[in-house]
Amino acid sequence: MTATFQPVSRPLSISSVADLEPMLEDAFGAGGTFRDLLAMLGARPSCLISGAVLREALDATQLRQALDEFLPYPQLVESLDEIRVFRSGAQPVIEFHFAQPHMIPQETAFGVVTVQVARTLSFRIEENGDVTLQPGDMRVRWFGVTENLVVRIRRIEGPQGVQDLLQVSAGNVLSQAMPLTSLTMPTRPARKAIVPAAVPVPPPATIAVTVHRLPGRIRLRVAGLYRNLAQKTRIERHLARQRGVHAVSANILTGTVLVQCDATISAGDLELRVSAIVAGVEDSASEWVESRPWHLLDVAEVARLQGSSTTDGLDPAVARQRLEELGANALPDVRRRSRVGMLLEQFSSLPVVLLGASALLSIATGGLADGAVILSVVLINAGIGYFTENWAETTISSLSRGARPVARVVRAGVEHDLPGEELVPGDLIVLKRGMPVPADARLVATDDLTVDESALTGESVPVAKHAGVLVERDVPLGSRTNMIYRGAIVTGGGGRALVVATGLATEVGQIQRMLAETEQPETPLQRQLRLLGSQLALVSLAICGGVFVIGVLRGQGLLLMLKTAVSLAVAAIPEGLPTVATTTLALGVRRLERRNILVRRLVAVETLGAIQDVCLDKTGTITLNQMRLVSVFASMRLYLHKEGAFRCDDEAPCTLQADDDLLRLLRLSFLCSEVRIVSTDAGLTTRGTPTETALADAALDAGIDVVDLRQRFPLLRAQPRSEQRGYMVTWHDDGGAGLLAIKGAPDQVLGLCSLQSRQGVVIPLTDDDRARIVTENERMAGQALRVLGVAYGYGNDVPEEQRNLIWVGLAGIADPPRAGMQHLMERFRAAGLHPIMVTGDQSATAHAVARQIGLRRDGHLEGLDAAQLEHVPPDVLRSLAQRLDIFSRVSPAHKLRIVQALQRAGRVVAMTGDGINDGPALRAADIGIAMGQDGSQLAQEVADIVVRDDNLQIIIIAVEQGRAIYDDIKKALHFILASNASEIGVMLLATTAGLGEPFNPIQLLWINLVTDIFPELALGVELPETDVMARPPRNPQAPMFSRADVGRIGLEGATLIASTFTAYGAGLARYGIGPRASTIAFTSLTAAQLLYAISCRSEQHTMFEPAACPPNPYLPLAVGGGLALQVLATLLPGLRRILGVVPLGPFDWALAAGTAVAPLLISEMTKELSRPRSAMRRR
Amino acid sequence: MPAEYIFTSESVSAGHPDKLCDQISDALVGHYLRQDPLASVIAECAVSTGILFVSVKVTADAVVDIPNTAREIILDVGYDQGAFNGRTCTVMTSLSETNGAYPRVDEMALDDGDLDRLTAQENVTLFGFACTHTPELAPLPLWCAHQLMRRYDHVRRQTLRYLAPDAKCQVGIAFADHQPRRIDSITLIASQHSEYPSLATLRADLAEHVIAPAFDGQPVVPDERTRLQINPEGMMLEGGPALHAGLTGRKNGVDTYGGFSRQSGAALSGKDPTRIDRAGAYAARHAAKHVVAAGLADLCEVQLSYSIGIAGPVSVRVETFGTGRIADDKLTERVRQHFDFRPGAILRRFNLRRLAGMHQGQFYRRLAVYGHVGRSDLGLPWEAIGDADTLRA
Repeated sequence: MTATFQPVSRPLSISSVADLEPMLEDAFGAGGTFRDLLAMLGARPSCLISGAVLREALDATQLRQALDEFLPYPQLVESLDEIRVFRSGAQPVIEFHFAQPHMIPQETAFGVVTVQVARTLSFRIEENGDVTLQPGDMRVRWFGVTENLVVRIRRIEGPQGVQDLLQVSAGNVLSQAMPLTSLTMPTRPARKAIVPAAVPVPPPATIAVTVHRLPGRIRLRVAGLYRNLAQKTRIERHLARQRGVHAVSANILTGTVLVQCDATISAGDLELRVSAIVAGVEDSASEWVESRPWHLLDVAEVARLQGSSTTDGLDPAVARQRLEELGANALPDVRRRSRVGMLLEQFSSLPVVLLGASALLSIATGGLADGAVILSVVLINAGIGYFTENWAETTISSLSRGARPVARVVRAGVEHDLPGEELVPGDLIVLKRGMPVPADARLVATDDLTVDESALTGESVPVAKHAGVLVERDVPLGSRTNMIYRGAIVTGGGGRALVVATGLATEVGQIQRMLAETEQPETPLQRQLRLLGSQLALVSLAICGGVFVIGVLRGQGLLLMLKTAVSLAVAAIPEGLPTVATTTLALGVRRLERRNILVRRLVAVETLGAIQDVCLDKTGTITLNQMRLVSVFASMRLYLHKEGAFRCDDEAPCTLQADDDLLRLLRLSFLCSEVRIVSTDAGLTTRGTPTETALADAALDAGIDVVDLRQRFPLLRAQPRSEQRGYMVTWHDDGGAGLLAIKGAPDQVLGLCSLQSRQGVVIPLTDDDRARIVTENERMAGQALRVLGVAYGYGNDVPEEQRNLIWVGLAGIADPPRAGMQHLMERFRAAGLHPIMVTGDQSATAHAVARQIGLRRDGHLEGLDAAQLEHVPPDVLRSLAQRLDIFSRVSPAHKLRIVQALQRAGRVVAMTGDGINDGPALRAADIGIAMGQDGSQLAQEVADIVVRDDNLQIIIIAVEQGRAIYDDIKKALHFILASNASEIGVMLLATTAGLGEPFNPIQLLWINLVTDIFPELALGVELPETDVMARPPRNPQAPMFSRADVGRIGLEGATLIASTFTAYGAGLARYGIGPRASTIAFTSLTAAQLLYAISCRSEQHTMFEPAACPPNPYLPLAVGGGLALQVLATLLPGLRRILGVVPLGPFDWALAAGTAVAPLLISEMTKELSRPRSAMRRR
Repeated sequence: MPAEYIFTSESVSAGHPDKLCDQISDALVGHYLRQDPLASVIAECAVSTGILFVSVKVTADAVVDIPNTAREIILDVGYDQGAFNGRTCTVMTSLSETNGAYPRVDEMALDDGDLDRLTAQENVTLFGFACTHTPELAPLPLWCAHQLMRRYDHVRRQTLRYLAPDAKCQVGIAFADHQPRRIDSITLIASQHSEYPSLATLRADLAEHVIAPAFDGQPVVPDERTRLQINPEGMMLEGGPALHAGLTGRKNGVDTYGGFSRQSGAALSGKDPTRIDRAGAYAARHAAKHVVAAGLADLCEVQLSYSIGIAGPVSVRVETFGTGRIADDKLTERVRQHFDFRPGAILRRFNLRRLAGMHQGQFYRRLAVYGHVGRSDLGLPWEAIGDADTLRA
């Protein structure tokens, strides 16, 4: 500790924007640049500028843009803690301090480069005002090499006059210079947004020139964009925010910007906008969306800034103008993947390209039929892939869209309904129970307003809202109790609020914008298939080339050898690989859809099988998102309420007639509530606040005739709970002195009681009883129940302190877990999946639910309770995340951090979500699972799979299918590799040994057609092996085929080659080189390959264990059909002629049959032999 | 020991990271015991910059909201702003709940013979100490240091709001003939939220509002020769976990006798009272205090050694450093006769399991600051000397 007690002499601290403004005025008043700002800072005596002040100033001035030019990374600026100016010797130094070091991946002309920024950036100011960044503070890493970034801001005198330049270089690879823009400080920044902006002075139009335009699609060439990353970022960021612009993509290699926008936007308009951005003139719309800390402002101040009134609202004319200026209050639909892009993707794999080339070669060499066959294979593959993906996409987008909200608004003093899209900032809206909040707004007046913000914060308990002013600046959204946000729902009370943000500028809109910045990771199978396909194609091509060269050297005809080589390539290149993968996955989609699981991305099916961690949302996913009465403590007994029935604490069902106090409690709590009873076809249902409906539902479960109850005890008056009084009181006419029912905070209610009801008898409430009730209250609260105390009394006008109320009991209410969760967690663990609960709730609630569902492993539970997860260093979070079972009090942005932390730790993560707040995390997760029934459209659109009936059990089915599908693809690949290797091997050996050609080109294509595609497809639809969910998840980093697998495939391929060669050799010995020997080899190989498919059904189990693999009717069909075709080929004269085969004698048939069965038996035997070892390894 | 010497002891404020961890650990123990007096709890904490780690191993019929309890303590101690504060810090909980493995034996329901069923579950040697320095029969150096820290925490809440919660102090007492004569030195290190006020103001404020009142009306007060050092190395801004890490059980000396006697290596905080290393330390103090209160010695150290699986202590020894009125051996025999040191007996004598319930769960948490022994403010059962007369006879 002693080391930390150092004398501290702190420089002058700048802690308000007012202090900062004169400095900024100095720097920018005369149109300076970022260099002038730094030089000016350096000229001052030492000072400190806090990050918070700086960020506030950023919003008010163009300093943000200046920083953007220098540090085009928003996350960096957001984590800026302070700027410190001091002198080191005679030289001024400016230090930028950040909350944490950053690693920023950056797409550049050189591929993805990582920019590493240390926690401190130090600038030295030289005498002439030039600025140099301390070497080593900023580094770049590419191709595994780390280089210091050398950054200098210099003033040079060129032909165009004096210019400030930002020079960046790293080693001797990268060097770029970029002119710094002159900046001006706007006057009265806050008002600027309200006044319709003056048309910006048109900058020289030569900055942006239209290259071409289609309706809604304009390409511009922008001067200074070429190889200028900062400019790219700036243009994309600023332009994407503007009205009518859907997507912007700037290319630093071509120096052009592609803009997708409303067709009404002209190219000239866009040129002006881009020029304005490049010149540094912000337009009004982008200024408008900058959020202000509205919760810190007084209501009157908000109204003033918005040019509105807290009583009369906006003037309709102003509202119309703003609507025109700012656009509709609507969120754009999440963009669908384009059909053209999807189609092109199908043709972009290397094997397909090579096959296409082979087809062309075939056609060029006269093999029109061969070429046609190959081309049609390619087209069929692409067609299947395209149609299945498109079909899945269409299925998702055909899901019902959210209803358009209607807002109640006051304009010019008149209140009326308005479509939600027509709201503008400044509108005064009226809030009523049950109404969705149509835009972000600052509350003006409230009347017991409570709001369900679960869609935004994940907190299922409604939040009370007030119109007061908050003082803390950086409070999470959920704690901004004087603000309401779009996407929330009013659950109680009412109020009025001034809209401060609409459309994309709302918090929900911000989340949608975040989505655009979140990339979808490549799934493991995509990666592996891409690599494997390319490698195999290259190897096959090389061998085919070898066969060609050797054949030519041995004196075979050039054209014949070319044809043979091309046919061999067609047979050898696993062109079935994409087909098998696509069809298997597509069939998986169908299988999953039958179980009510919609798959949005085809390959997600297979990633399901690799999942290691499952992040589960608590509210609405693990739990019902419905408050239910869980337990009652009455007559000193504990009753549990489960699935509509009451039990005593020893789990024995209790007879309700005898237990008077439980019924009394339910009756009183129903009388003392505002629940409305609605009669529907299905019986009575209750409407009201979650707590009260929970109690009322329990009353219905207990068989209480609630309608009759209300009639017998008509309500005289009610006193709602308030901030001072934590309970509600109602007075009822009971035909006598009057009945008084009271329910609320247990300690307060208990304080009013002097008597208690015990088995229906009223007796005094002793201190011991009181202590027992208090302890029970704590115990229930500890189990995360919301506890209410219920009491009653008689008399209508008795003063509060003399009421002598009668205590009845405690009622504990919670959002209970769904049925079957415990079983689900067990199955997760059996399958080696780690369930992680993520919730915005308090840790007590989270832990209580975790206990109930048995989330813990061996009684051990690790939780992280973090309101500000961003303050946990990323590497700490990464190492913690793998161990944790519970994350509590997390906000939407944190879910993303959790997913990313797990992914950095090398885990494959699935994440469930239903709220709009889950979007970014769902998209970033390897598998984003949207819960469909109540889930928002946004969550469904970004997720990989959508579970339509909200049944979490389905995740297990999905994982099982995912694993089976991966296994199936692997089985099919295993088969393809071994059988193709045998074809190539036989050809290569025979050609090299000068033993003639065992197969002619047409035979090779026949083998390809008969033995490859159909057995492959049949293997691709194998059902899950029975033990698939008792295995741990596969390692996503490991290649699909381990070294041992490759050895097996090699061995089995060699067995096939050996047996074919045995047949061919015997044929040669008997008949010499010629069609007869060739026909024997051809028949032997075809049959051997077909039979071998049976062995590929399972890696572990042999064909003698029928129970391990569920029957697959397609495989006998494929194998039997293939064998029949082969027999026909040697029997039918027409086919014989085309294939160039001759009839076989009985000896030949026996030889072919024997050599065909041998590989199957040998491979099953080796499986049996290697099993004890592999079984031990597994254990 | 030479006839004249100086002895220093250190104490820390409630906001010191190590003490913060002790308080959170003991608050958790208290909450569990309050719900289930037979709970078995081990609660350990570690804190650094923005993260608090809590590891709890518990067998209890109770549910405690660990992060929330921790946050309440952090806020209550005074970390409600700055880099480390109770609202925004991250709390990582590692909770192991086992069921039924631990024998749930209630000593209150047992007769004397059956108390043997509760055996020691730790191999440990413990020390209890008492001396005639103060009315509480506690060693003066630590007692003074605790007074300073109490005063500091009070002043920080009430008047000098610029002070941050983290502070520590050291008091050096000059002894002559084994009797404390005067205060030789006081070193006080305080932390503050911002760089204002200046060091000079801080020093003047602390001297006036903390040091002077702390010794007000005490027999020994700082004199003109007392060396007073306040933040000798300059300001400490913020302090607390933002600056240095903390760990449960690191302030054993502060919790016991300030190094004036021997002390066990086992920590006191974060353990339920069935742990003999906690209950035994209290019992040892109880015995030592009785010896001194009975006038049988001026200084008394009681040593207890326990072995796992054995109910009674394997060794009881009393050492009076030559101040005893009767021989140490006889005194040992008398203490052994008089006090039942079996774990169950200690639990029953001090009612350790139910103290938490009787003080709204706050009992153990209060123990965790300003010492577990030698204090008169909590009515601690091991500080009561009701049986001193019988010991004398």
